Amino acid sequence: MTGSSRAGAAIRGVATIVAFALIVFPILIVVVAAFSPNDYFQFPPPGFSLRWFAEFFGLENMRSAFALSVELALASATIATVLGTLAALFLARRRGAIGALLQSLFLAPLVFPTIILGVALLLLYKTIGMPVFAGLLLAHCVVGMPYGFRTVLASAQALDPALEEAGQSLGAGPLRTLFLVTLPLIWPGVLSGWLFAFIVSFGELNTALFLTGPGLTTLPIEIFSYLQFQGSQLVIAAASTVQIALIVILVAVIERVVGLARITRAR
Amino acid sequence: MTAKYGWFLLAPPLATVCVLFVVPVVYLFWVSLHAPSTSELYAASLTLHNYVDLLRDSFYLTIIGRTLGVAAVILGLCLVIGYPVAYFVAVLPPRRRMLALLLLLFPLMVSNVVRAYGWVALLERQGVVNTTLRDLRWIDAPLDLLYTPSAVVVALMTILLPYMVISIANTLAALDRRYEEAAQALGASPLRTFVHVTLPLSTPGIASGTLLVFLLTLSAYVTITLLGGPRSKLLVSMIYDSVTAFQWPRAAALAFVLLALALVFTALIVALLRPGRVQGTAR
Amino acid sequence: MNGDMADVRLVGVRKRFGGVVAVSDVSVDIARGTIFSLLGPSGCGKTTTLRLIAGFEQPDAGDVYIRGVRVTSTPPYRRDFSMVFQSYALFPHLTVAENVVFGLRMRRIARGERARSVDEALELVKLGALADRYPRQLSGGQQQRVALARAIVVKPAVLLLDEPLGALDKMLREEMQVELRSLQQRLGITAVFVTHDQEEALTLSDRVAVMRDGVIEQIGAPRDIYDRPRNAFVASFLGASNFVEGNIVAREAGVNVVETPAGRVTVRADRPIGERVRIAVRPERLRLDPIDGEGIPARIRDVLYRGPVTHFYMDSAAGPLIAYRQDARAGEWSIGDRVHCAWDADGAVVLDEAPAKRAASGEVTR
Repeated sequence: MTGSSRAGAAIRGVATIVAFALIVFPILIVVVAAFSPNDYFQFPPPGFSLRWFAEFFGLENMRSAFALSVELALASATIATVLGTLAALFLARRRGAIGALLQSLFLAPLVFPTIILGVALLLLYKTIGMPVFAGLLLAHCVVGMPYGFRTVLASAQALDPALEEAGQSLGAGPLRTLFLVTLPLIWPGVLSGWLFAFIVSFGELNTALFLTGPGLTTLPIEIFSYLQFQGSQLVIAAASTVQIALIVILVAVIERVVGLARITRAR
Repeated sequence: MTAKYGWFLLAPPLATVCVLFVVPVVYLFWVSLHAPSTSELYAASLTLHNYVDLLRDSFYLTIIGRTLGVAAVILGLCLVIGYPVAYFVAVLPPRRRMLALLLLLFPLMVSNVVRAYGWVALLERQGVVNTTLRDLRWIDAPLDLLYTPSAVVVALMTILLPYMVISIANTLAALDRRYEEAAQALGASPLRTFVHVTLPLSTPGIASGTLLVFLLTLSAYVTITLLGGPRSKLLVSMIYDSVTAFQWPRAAALAFVLLALALVFTALIVALLRPGRVQGTAR
Repeated sequence: MNGDMADVRLVGVRKRFGGVVAVSDVSVDIARGTIFSLLGPSGCGKTTTLRLIAGFEQPDAGDVYIRGVRVTSTPPYRRDFSMVFQSYALFPHLTVAENVVFGLRMRRIARGERARSVDEALELVKLGALADRYPRQLSGGQQQRVALARAIVVKPAVLLLDEPLGALDKMLREEMQVELRSLQQRLGITAVFVTHDQEEALTLSDRVAVMRDGVIEQIGAPRDIYDRPRNAFVASFLGASNFVEGNIVAREAGVNVVETPAGRVTVRADRPIGERVRIAVRPERLRLDPIDGEGIPARIRDVLYRGPVTHFYMDSAAGPLIAYRQDARAGEWSIGDRVHCAWDADGAVVLDEAPAKRAASGEVTR
């Protein structure tokens, strides 16, 4: 963009600093608090201690909530990505009204208020008697599918259609074309879709709020319950930091494999 | 790809979306049209009372009003702060822009409960803000910052700001800079160029950012509860309360009122901003 | 020529997309070992016709035969052909050698034989040293050769090429035209290619089909189509042409005399006296004689020097005329001069004004 006035630039600079401070600071507080040796939060922190992490891993319900969240995220992200990939491959070259309609349908869970979906699914599950973990898993599959769909669609549409035709002209049937030509070229989209689906599932609240049950809670819901009924405790800071750490590691790993450009463009 | 293989690709995801998304939502609507029951999920008789009673009850109307008010303030703040930030990010050189976008993306990956907790830790009576102010001897007794609508507004605004910034930044970054150059060649000052060229061309990003923030504000139960407490309940809190009280038809009706608000707002934004008329020009 | 010798045969093929007819009743026989080109402006249906032979499009009516086998309902991966795409479509995730061997893997050729064939093919296109590179590391011309090697290594019954030289600059294109032709003749492969460049079609092909709006206007050897275009479209598509109208006034020994508003001219044809005709004459066949010579009187409006050839633009009572003179001496003719334009009867042809359908249907071979 072309140059503009100094005043404009100053406004933008100030706004950016303020915005980043407001956005990042609360998260920073939580991470710092997790390492505090005291019972209460102090800024600047007086020392460094891992006691809260020890307490976090020592608490049965925290541990199992963490384990459940990881299992749930792994399973739902994988299923969601497979489903999203299938949908994207179907729609990649399809034009016309039906194609557009289907595309809106597959992207709908992204914009639809997930809280309503949570209520609706709980009602349905209660009516038909669905076990808790399965219900949660299915909910997260629906919530995660648009992410896989979106990134794979972008990758598949960016593919030169002549490549698949070239494969066919050389004798590769539909299945072999899919595995030898299409998938090797769209796998970064698949992987970044999986990453988003995992992260979304891991931090998901609105459906888990309704669909978790006694003994079967996800980490975010466990943190929420703690906050509501036992007040602000630093073990929560540790739990939160563990969640953040997992995300950082995952993003770093995927970034190595797929590249920064893919992740940011995927959004 | 030949047509017959297409069915194998389409069937699984389509079935999933229909069974786990369309069906439950339609079922919920169906339930909202039934009378409540104490022994079962809902009674057999059909009625519109759930909606009628809701919309005649001043209590619920107040809640809806408060919800819209909170959403309006959050939207306003996100736009006012978010647009300049988006502009800043959009004019950065590509590599730094990607870094900035990643920096914005990262907080969105952290669960909302964690981000809300951060604000609780900041605003509570023994929180960072109060402790700092007392240490600086600016106040004697701790301020009651938490459990107010303002707390909800501040927290939710910062949680949702990245969505607004990313939406607008992506649109601005994709703009052909020749539009602005053409305006300046015709004699427009930077300010007028911005108002008459850049701003209108960025309406798609503004529209999508606004819709996203509004929708997420309506659904942000955890943040609203943690920061608003029992006295600052919004529409979504009512839905949760109805569910825990096993009042399914009421919960369903409230849910569709929420959905109706979302749809009306979407229609409003599309009509007001008309993002469609720009869509073919921004590349 | 009968159908048995044809490697590719299209019979009454028709294809429409939505409301648009892309290919309308096309019938063509392509003999083994020849290069056949589909020539025409964009939207004429030439690419669709090629894709119908390949199987990427299914015809709404008609049949496609490859080597006598009816392949109309056979999917592309089971037809005996290979294709060079306009964008080359080299697999970016495979090396040059892996790209070339792909078709052999599909046909389950043994590994040793595969490697030998790949080496041979790469040698043929002079890219042996680049076998381990990736497509993105190659220049446009090199990528084009890899695409070619990949297509010929499988020894297909027919090789299809979709504007294969379109992305190359002029010099490279002319070089590749020569190489392509020599390669094809060496291997004896039947080739069908699509182009909008009439020079390319005339250079490379054994036979050319000129298409317009889904219909074949004329098929024939390059020289035949050029010298004796069937109608005004073909005449103007394959280079410039002069058009002159008039009535037949005499007819003898295979030559017609035509009375035009500017005088009498001859044309090799056998039309009845009194018929109104339009004749086409190539600019290079026009002789410019000093005034009082035979032919149509005209006045030079513009002179354009174009290196080996000089263009003369003239006005006459029979309409505008263009002449190309080679070795025109500077100052031989200048603007404003009055000349007489004449041509031999063999240099002119009577155009068919009938609608295009007549030209396309029932066209077999020559």
